[in-house]
Amino acid sequence: MAKKGEKVKILLTAKGTEWDSKMDPRFGRTEFFFIYDEETEKVETYDNRAIVNEAHGAGPKTAQKMSEFGVDVLITGNGPGGNAAAVVTQTGTKVYVGAGDMTVKEAYDAYKNGKLK
Amino acid sequence: MKEIVIISGKGGTGKTSVTASLAYLAGKSIIVADCDVDAADMHLLMKPVNDRKEDFFSGVLAEIDQDKCIKCGKCSNVCRWKAIPIVENKYVVQPLDCEGCGYCSLVCPTDAISMNEQNVGNWIISDVKTNTQMVHARLGIGAENSGKLVAKVKNEAKVLAEKSEKDFIVVDGSPGIGCPVVSSLSGANLVVLVTEPSVSGIHDVKRVYELVKKFGIKAGCIINKADINPDKVKEIHQFLETENIQLIAEIPYDENFTKAMTMGKTIVEYDPDGIGEILKNSWEKIRKI
Repeated sequence: MAKKGEKVKILLTAKGTEWDSKMDPRFGRTEFFFIYDEETEKVETYDNRAIVNEAHGAGPKTAQKMSEFGVDVLITGNGPGGNAAAVVTQTGTKVYVGAGDMTVKEAYDAYKNGKLK
Repeated sequence: MKEIVIISGKGGTGKTSVTASLAYLAGKSIIVADCDVDAADMHLLMKPVNDRKEDFFSGVLAEIDQDKCIKCGKCSNVCRWKAIPIVENKYVVQPLDCEGCGYCSLVCPTDAISMNEQNVGNWIISDVKTNTQMVHARLGIGAENSGKLVAKVKNEAKVLAEKSEKDFIVVDGSPGIGCPVVSSLSGANLVVLVTEPSVSGIHDVKRVYELVKKFGIKAGCIINKADINPDKVKEIHQFLETENIQLIAEIPYDENFTKAMTMGKTIVEYDPDGIGEILKNSWEKIRKI
């Protein structure tokens, strides 16, 4: 678990792969992962768009995928819902919501300034 | 642009009647999305015309190529749903029994079984009587609503809303607390709970609110048929207070709801001064939450 001021790896749910891309307010059916590692200052992205073909269980599948990236913090619009939340809790990832209407950069800044719940 | 989702947990509380009324009052400032696809009724009240339809594919079904089949029966043996009986000396997949797991195709020694995507219905964009558009869907018999379909309907509504600079998307959510409801809530800005003062009404609204809480979405509540059981109304008030949910309105039981429905009208059109006035105030409150 990340302590205050510690450099962490953050996953943001996004509609694209750039800092000025819009956030995807959804967790399970997010189009992309935008992953920023504060330590190395490197950005990594993952195309999650194939999730559109899943009739059921999108949340848990995305949560499972997320766990492979070993992130400390998740920033999204709302959610994750019941089943996905159970997975996310298991991995110890800290969840921040309320960033659905922002860009990735704005969401990251809002998180840094303690403006996300 | 904000996404407002109306849900109830229990069916029959008046969710769709309320949703259609709000959609009527909001007029062209919104895009309407009907995500209650299993029992889609919004179209009865919104009078969609000019349908733009597209096929919707979901799930897979096994299909046996009879030319390749050597009738070994392995597929039939492994099928948990007994979906591959022998019909007229051939192994034939029964579409309504097949769950699409793919076990049969895995064990088939001659690769005779393919898993094919199913066209289960349409999703549709229509013009509606309130001078805007509605996104909805129609499923074939035996097909079920899914998170996938709800996400599709909501996404299309969002694209339309952004393109035509609408203020809101008003979503008729599905009943229950399953996958389609999860998908309805995902990405929403506000939830309106429509409930009624009955044992099951309260039980189910509490259950669905558990889910809303997980998503951390703000919620308001409309109590319909609010004069049929004062004790249960009190119980709802207590629940709303504990959970810090805003009470938007209490609507008395009124047979005009049914009369309006039979005429294919929203209650706001049928009874603009009575129930219509209450709903008008409700929409004013909702748009400001």
